[in-house]
Amino acid sequence: MANPLSTLKRIYFSVYNWALVYGWAQVLYLAVKTIKESGIEHVYDAVEKPLFLSQTAAILEIAHSLTGLVRSPVSATLPQIASRLFLVWGILYNIPEVRTSVIVCSLVISWSITEVIRYSFFGMKELLGITPSFLTWLRYSSFLVLYPSGISSEVGLIYLALPYIKSSELFCVRMPNKWNFTFDSFYFSLLALAAYVPGSPHMYTYMLGQRKKVLSKSKRE
Amino acid sequence: MKVLVVSRSGREVVRGGLEFSDAATVAHLQEAIYRKTKKFYPSRQRLTLPVQPGSKEKPIVLSGKKSIKDYADGNNLTVVLKDLGPQVSYRTLFFFEYLGPLLIYPIFYYFPVYQYFGFKDKHEKLPVQTYAMYYWCFHYFKRILETFFVHRFSHATSPIANVFRNCAYYWTFGAYIAYHVNHPLYTPVSDLQIKIGFAFGLLCQASNFYCHILLKNLRSSDGSGGYQIPRGFLFNIVTCANYTTEIYQWLGFNIATQTVAGYVFLLVAASIMTNWALGKHRRLKKLFDGKDGRPKYPRRWVILPPFL
Repeated sequence: MANPLSTLKRIYFSVYNWALVYGWAQVLYLAVKTIKESGIEHVYDAVEKPLFLSQTAAILEIAHSLTGLVRSPVSATLPQIASRLFLVWGILYNIPEVRTSVIVCSLVISWSITEVIRYSFFGMKELLGITPSFLTWLRYSSFLVLYPSGISSEVGLIYLALPYIKSSELFCVRMPNKWNFTFDSFYFSLLALAAYVPGSPHMYTYMLGQRKKVLSKSKRE
Repeated sequence: MKVLVVSRSGREVVRGGLEFSDAATVAHLQEAIYRKTKKFYPSRQRLTLPVQPGSKEKPIVLSGKKSIKDYADGNNLTVVLKDLGPQVSYRTLFFFEYLGPLLIYPIFYYFPVYQYFGFKDKHEKLPVQTYAMYYWCFHYFKRILETFFVHRFSHATSPIANVFRNCAYYWTFGAYIAYHVNHPLYTPVSDLQIKIGFAFGLLCQASNFYCHILLKNLRSSDGSGGYQIPRGFLFNIVTCANYTTEIYQWLGFNIATQTVAGYVFLLVAASIMTNWALGKHRRLKKLFDGKDGRPKYPRRWVILPPFL
């Protein structure tokens, strides 16, 4: 296939996926190292830079989905990225009081293991055209544990941050104003929490469906 | 003739198949399947002709009014049954999704709810807030009347999950907008802007109603008639004139009331309707391709002249 566009696409995705494997592997390594050497309260400070870089880069994945560059539906990509960005930029960045919680550890470890598996799976596919069956199995099975642990950590951290969000009045916009606009961070965070109620089963069952489809297909081949 | 009913995985749904006379219609087939399975009432069934495995073709859906004979190959027919899940009639769905905004908005207008948000409630409402409430309630009352007396639905039912999804959409946005417009700290725009907004909105609502009447007349009362080229009034220049007038009607409301909440709703509603309009326009162009004696679909805007 000498199509230059598809070669470009392949290069782009190889670079993207492997760069993110590196970023998230860093997060995982630093998290575990810090827990062993310094203690759980210091994990956030240790992983802050690679975490923010890797997670923010994932905004590109919404564009990939919208433009049809990848097959994943926007309905699965958007809630995932929205919750990640809310946790990183909304909560962790603005509410320093929650950074020392043990929940931060479970959060970054769940995320980084998932992402290392996911991005190396796609990285292998794009760069080498193969997906080793062990990696495929990991990619479509690890979520069984890591989704619940990750989601619980996300919900737990938001809940922990609520009193600080309320008292800080950060980003709040009040009436009266010309455009009759209000924004209340506290209510917005409550809404975010409520979104996990339909959102989590939606994401989990989507992955269960994907698992069934992919693992049965590879068994037949 | 004999009909075999299988599921999409190939399993026989009705063991041994079903027997029918030559005059039987697909509707008879659906009734028989319901009687045998006891679970799948007709509106829950989607019957298709089997496709070759690996074929990219979309399966042909059986139409309830046609004879079974029309689809059969000789004296035999195999149909694939898909369970569409529990269904609710479109009238029921629309009624509940519109009832929410109709009741929720006046709650914010008439009742002292803002004290629970920590504000001193003002009893006097500004004129624009009163007009907005009447405009809003008239709009949803009109929609409910159209649901029962005007619209002719191509499908009788919708999956029950849509009740929750659609009601969440309408009721949440209703409360979100009602909260801001009826707020004790609400800031009105100029009198002129208010008048222009509501007048334009009412004009568009009237146009929208006329569009619905024209669409209704394209179909006969039993719902058959399928797709026709819409004609007359704004349909001569835009395929989905009904969506166009609906979007502009909300624009009128927002010009008069000026809330970010209202404009967000306008944006979301417009994008949903644009999605529908693109699908409808594409379908009509594909169906009316000018071949085999069929008329060719005329060049028209899709939904929002001069943009799309």
